[in-house]
Amino acid sequence: MSIRSQTNDCSSCQPRSRRVFLSDLGMGFTGLALGAMLSEDGIVRGAEASVLPPSGTPHHAPKSKSVIWIFLSGGYSHLETFDPKPALDKYAGKTFSETPFENPVDSPLHKKRFRSVPAEEINVRDVYPTIYPMQVGWKKCGEAGIEVTDWWPHLAQHVDDLCFVRNMWTTDNDHAAENQIHTGRHRLDPQEPSVGAWVDYGLGTLNENLPKFAVVGGPTRSDTRLSIDSMYLGPQHAGVPLTLDEKTPLPFGTRHEKQSFASQQAEYGLINQLNRLSAIEYPEDQELAARIRSYELAFRMQDSVPEAIDFQGETPAIQQLYGLDDDSTKVAGSRLLAARRLAERGVRFIQVFPSPYGVWDSHQQLKKNHTRLCKTVDKPVAGLIKDLKQRGLLDEVTVVFCTEFGRTPGLEKRSGGTTGRDHHPNGFTIWMAGAGVKKGHVHGATDELGYHALGDAHYVTDLHATVLHLLGLDNRQLNYPGRKRLEIDYGRVIDEILV
Amino acid sequence: MNLRIARMTFSLSCEWRFPSFVAAFVLFANQGFAEEAVDYKRQIKPILQSRCYACHGALKQEGGLRLDTGDSLRKGGDSGEAVTITAPADSLLIERVTAADASERMPPEGEPLDEEQIRLLQSWIAAGAPSPTDEVRESDPRDHWSFRPLNRPDVPELEQANARDRNPVDAFIEGRLSQEGLTAGPAASKHLQLRRVYLDLIGLPPTSAELKRFVADESAGAYEQVVDRLLNDPRYGERWGRHWMDVWRYSDWYGRRNVPDVWNSAPQVWRWRDWIIHSLNEDKSYAQMIREMLAGDEISSDDPQTAVATGYLIRNWYALNPNDWMRNTVEHTGKAFLGLTFNCAHCHDHKYDPITQEDYFRLRAFFEPMYVRQDRIPGEADPGPFQDYDYSTLRKIQHLGSVRVFDKTPDATTWFYTDGDERNRDQERGSIPPGVPAVFTPASLTINPIELPTIAWYPGFHPQIQATVRADAQAQLESADTQLAAATKSYDAIVAEQKTDPIAEHHLVVARAAEAAARAELASVEARIAADNAQYSPSSETNAEEFAQRAAQLEHEAAQRRLEADTHAAEHSLLVAENKPEDDADRTQAIEAAKKVVQEAKERHTKATAEDSTPHEYTKLSPVYPQKSTGRRRALAEWITHRDNPLTARVAVNHIWMRHFHAPIVATVDDFGRNGAAPSHPELLDWLALELIENNWSMKRLHRLIVTSNAYRRSSSQIRSSNSDRPQHLDPDNTLLWRMNAGRMEAEVIRDSLFFCGGLLDMKLGGRSLDNEQALTTYRRSLYYEVFPEDGGASVLSSLFDAPNPLECYRRTKSIVPQQALALTNSEMVHVVSEKIAELHNSTEDNQQFIKDVFFQLLSRSPSTEELQLCERALSQQVELYTEAGVAAPQTAARQSVIRSILNHNDFVTIR
Repeated sequence: MSIRSQTNDCSSCQPRSRRVFLSDLGMGFTGLALGAMLSEDGIVRGAEASVLPPSGTPHHAPKSKSVIWIFLSGGYSHLETFDPKPALDKYAGKTFSETPFENPVDSPLHKKRFRSVPAEEINVRDVYPTIYPMQVGWKKCGEAGIEVTDWWPHLAQHVDDLCFVRNMWTTDNDHAAENQIHTGRHRLDPQEPSVGAWVDYGLGTLNENLPKFAVVGGPTRSDTRLSIDSMYLGPQHAGVPLTLDEKTPLPFGTRHEKQSFASQQAEYGLINQLNRLSAIEYPEDQELAARIRSYELAFRMQDSVPEAIDFQGETPAIQQLYGLDDDSTKVAGSRLLAARRLAERGVRFIQVFPSPYGVWDSHQQLKKNHTRLCKTVDKPVAGLIKDLKQRGLLDEVTVVFCTEFGRTPGLEKRSGGTTGRDHHPNGFTIWMAGAGVKKGHVHGATDELGYHALGDAHYVTDLHATVLHLLGLDNRQLNYPGRKRLEIDYGRVIDEILV
Repeated sequence: MNLRIARMTFSLSCEWRFPSFVAAFVLFANQGFAEEAVDYKRQIKPILQSRCYACHGALKQEGGLRLDTGDSLRKGGDSGEAVTITAPADSLLIERVTAADASERMPPEGEPLDEEQIRLLQSWIAAGAPSPTDEVRESDPRDHWSFRPLNRPDVPELEQANARDRNPVDAFIEGRLSQEGLTAGPAASKHLQLRRVYLDLIGLPPTSAELKRFVADESAGAYEQVVDRLLNDPRYGERWGRHWMDVWRYSDWYGRRNVPDVWNSAPQVWRWRDWIIHSLNEDKSYAQMIREMLAGDEISSDDPQTAVATGYLIRNWYALNPNDWMRNTVEHTGKAFLGLTFNCAHCHDHKYDPITQEDYFRLRAFFEPMYVRQDRIPGEADPGPFQDYDYSTLRKIQHLGSVRVFDKTPDATTWFYTDGDERNRDQERGSIPPGVPAVFTPASLTINPIELPTIAWYPGFHPQIQATVRADAQAQLESADTQLAAATKSYDAIVAEQKTDPIAEHHLVVARAAEAAARAELASVEARIAADNAQYSPSSETNAEEFAQRAAQLEHEAAQRRLEADTHAAEHSLLVAENKPEDDADRTQAIEAAKKVVQEAKERHTKATAEDSTPHEYTKLSPVYPQKSTGRRRALAEWITHRDNPLTARVAVNHIWMRHFHAPIVATVDDFGRNGAAPSHPELLDWLALELIENNWSMKRLHRLIVTSNAYRRSSSQIRSSNSDRPQHLDPDNTLLWRMNAGRMEAEVIRDSLFFCGGLLDMKLGGRSLDNEQALTTYRRSLYYEVFPEDGGASVLSSLFDAPNPLECYRRTKSIVPQQALALTNSEMVHVVSEKIAELHNSTEDNQQFIKDVFFQLLSRSPSTEELQLCERALSQQVELYTEAGVAAPQTAARQSVIRSILNHNDFVTIR
């Protein structure tokens, strides 16, 4: 399997060299990639390398083998989804200072967790102190009695499998927060690889014919490419966007129309033979060895990738479970069903965007907007949880459900608005489910008004640390030679929600 | 919790490297040495080195304390002794590293020392804090190799005969090899040499004819002639232009491409790309290129063409936040030209290099006054002024005109701020003046403000812009004349027939009014130009004030004529509407609309007549900018390109060398500081750097020197013909260059070569950037397709082959992934190319000859017997398969398949 076995070097008794790195890499779908990693000079920043790339084996016993990371773009209201606040109804129309609570704007947290992207002089985002009531009712659901709003009738049936984190925070006050929850970096700071790329970099493959990091339904827009990017880890660790069209799920992934299986096999055969002849002249050329192997893999991938996203084998009952029979739920449903199939086949990190870019953004008409959008996602997500559970996959796969920030408890009055909420990085809610995570549990809280995340609240990289931990990786040990990550990048595992 | 937040904001832009000792320490610490005596060198020094030296070492001695030797540690600092042998736990050192109060605790940044580290320190102190007597202090940062002045090293003398004629590059490389007891490998075949130098210098393989000619040419200077020819080929500028676009972070506009909303860079920035290509082709000095990119507007203020070079600065432009613009400019000016990581000093003094946090802001101050402007291009339409950012307005994609920087606010304040967050201004420090780190100041850096020529601050005064404005007015008049003639003709015809036609009659009125307006406009333009000339031409003896008044007067008149013409035109529409048949459904609506327009036109006319009783100042032909530039950027550029700057030429040579040899001399191409890598060939680097400087920074000369060396012309094979295989064991990574390195083609070279081999490549030079959607079906060279750091910022093919990351690409990554194989076998593009290549060989009936020819064309060599056999066998197998499958022309299809296999040969995408 390893390229090393094809050559006669003795890497064990030599100083760390490109051969060692190569053999250390997971030899999966993208593990052959050499990139900057192969070029020794690209790695040894400074006199001598001290940080080694991961070996592909986990740092500790993993609790989960795959993560399905569901991201809703635009910022769903935590208040109208999974963190309802009766105080908003009670004090509706009053200003913060007219409530018995401490004015959240006076807290030092306000500035700490809100960093404007536009220069202060031109920043138009304001604090909206007039309390806007909740736009939907809510109930205590499940045996756990967890508060969920009425817009989630299907998901509400599964709260006993979910684990909510209600004290998340971020700092970007605009939609680059979509990148921030994936990279841990504010728009104005140097960018880092996304969480999926770290998984790809850190873990070996379970299925060498599929990518380790697949993306379904995204990136949502050209400028959110960072949310799946690998930056300095090299392009081989970036998310691979798959199109849910079994004819062309991957760019160039389909045999040319003029080519039959046999004729293409013959063509690949000649390529292989010619390159193997070349390897005699360049016996230690690792890139050549890798290229030979990449052609073998490429040939097989033409069938393995389309198979992974082909729903023909799924029963009508399963398709209905995900809402594939209803136009309003079909898009999210097929993306989530594809995610399940990819997880089943060993893809490590599946980043799913069930909704288009920015649609959850509800500066105005929040009620109308969320009513419609919740409907598009509620049944498919509930279906995913149920399906994973009935297949026993909920013990092997971890699901994350998140958005980039919450929404202001106050009414957004910008441009004369009377029906919505603005962006709110100071507090928001995500939930997780599945392998390694507590069931029917709520962790953390925001204050009575839903403004500030309280306690040892969680910056977005805590979510990364947690997910990586479940996969058997210690975020702190994930480093790239020559690159210094910061404290903030490592995050802290949210131990309180782990089984 | 507060602590976590504080940590978050600190030093976000830092990206320093781990020195080796960190790993060494971690290793030992993890093993635990509880029972053993503490070893200062292995266990204590690494802690001090990684956590304390930055402030208590050679660079700085905070509190008068140095911790870089055991001696100085025991001596202590201003606060007294650092260690108390008798009571280790009470030692000041231990007290400070264990302080509960974060503001007291050392080190002030990052995680506190862990328990194991503290225990080691205590045990060491308890043992008497022993350290070796021969311990040397941390070296003075000023002695760092790349900060030392450049001195011409002696060229090593080689023993071989004709050593004198040898290329000095070889003298250095072979000198080093023989020091290590190694010998260089053999030269590559002539075929491979030619292929290599073609791909390297122009980014395309040689044609079969060129290859045959070269192989047959046995004259002494045949190779050198090829090199000269290639360096003078305009495709050289394209090939190397793309390399420098990597280093200088070329990016087309981005921000919100899908909206679209221009936030970063500018749509016209491609003019800077064309400037790069052009400058390289004319062998403009590297120093001059830097000067023009940083300060073209100040240095060649009378030449608007040069100012487009400041696209280098505009690439960093960010509409929403000027701090972001400044940060990127500081970081990448440091990295690209100086190999210095100024960005590490954004939040605190640099941990390794003598760059203080204040130096960071001093570098920023050079750029603080600048802003972007948009100039009209002579002969083209006017783009109007540069669009500032406004929250509620999208920034449009403006393709017209050129963009450049200028000093808009000479007294702009550079605030010192902390934690990398511009909100934390240190008001008390006031504005930070421009300056460079003390250690690098050669003599003195003088900043002299620049009086700009008129055309620089008033581009409308440029004769070509005057000519364009005048030509526009003339064209308007000509068009009005033509229309008047036509109107007159048709009216005359009606009169001749003794008919009446109120519409035609009125149309004549309209045409006359329009003609009068156009004539007045031309007179106004002429008068405004004359007024400009009277005011700004140095030789003018005329009374500028009179000209100005006349211009204002004529402009006012032209406006009146225009309003009159508009009124007539509006009335005409009304007349036409009224004359519609009564049963026309649109009639009423058309009349109402026309009435409204008439009303508005009349109102405007009345209003203008009332307002303009006193003439205003006449309108200038373009925006007017400040008449002075601060000269800050010019001063910075002169300092960077000063002969005595030790970094600039070294950094440039390293970039050039890396792209010829697929490996640099200094591995950390953007960090020549103390945490960067040491050069593999320090003397060679210095010698080449001086060679560059002393030959007017000519890059072509440097290329020629390098590619004509024996080192460059060697085989890249690891197999040695001699009986010695020592190099493979002693230097397996070829650091000493006993053979040539092979390297994979960049994405651009792959695409260009494919189209070139298929005879499809379009060699047109320059122009506006093209859409990546078209990259696989149109055939311009790859560097003309858009590049930006958002989705769609690279073609599908390019992104598979490691397209340049426009955010930072000092070195390309080169990955090998299966999707590349799929692209080169399944894409329509490759099928089109293989079809075209097959057509080129149509006349060759013999299959064996066909295979030989295709090998020669695509891989620049003949196939071996074995290769020939394999291809022949595959060809006949494919014929069978295609015949079985009922493909129309099985022979042709089979040939195309074999062509694709050869295109997928490792040697096609590899520069051997």
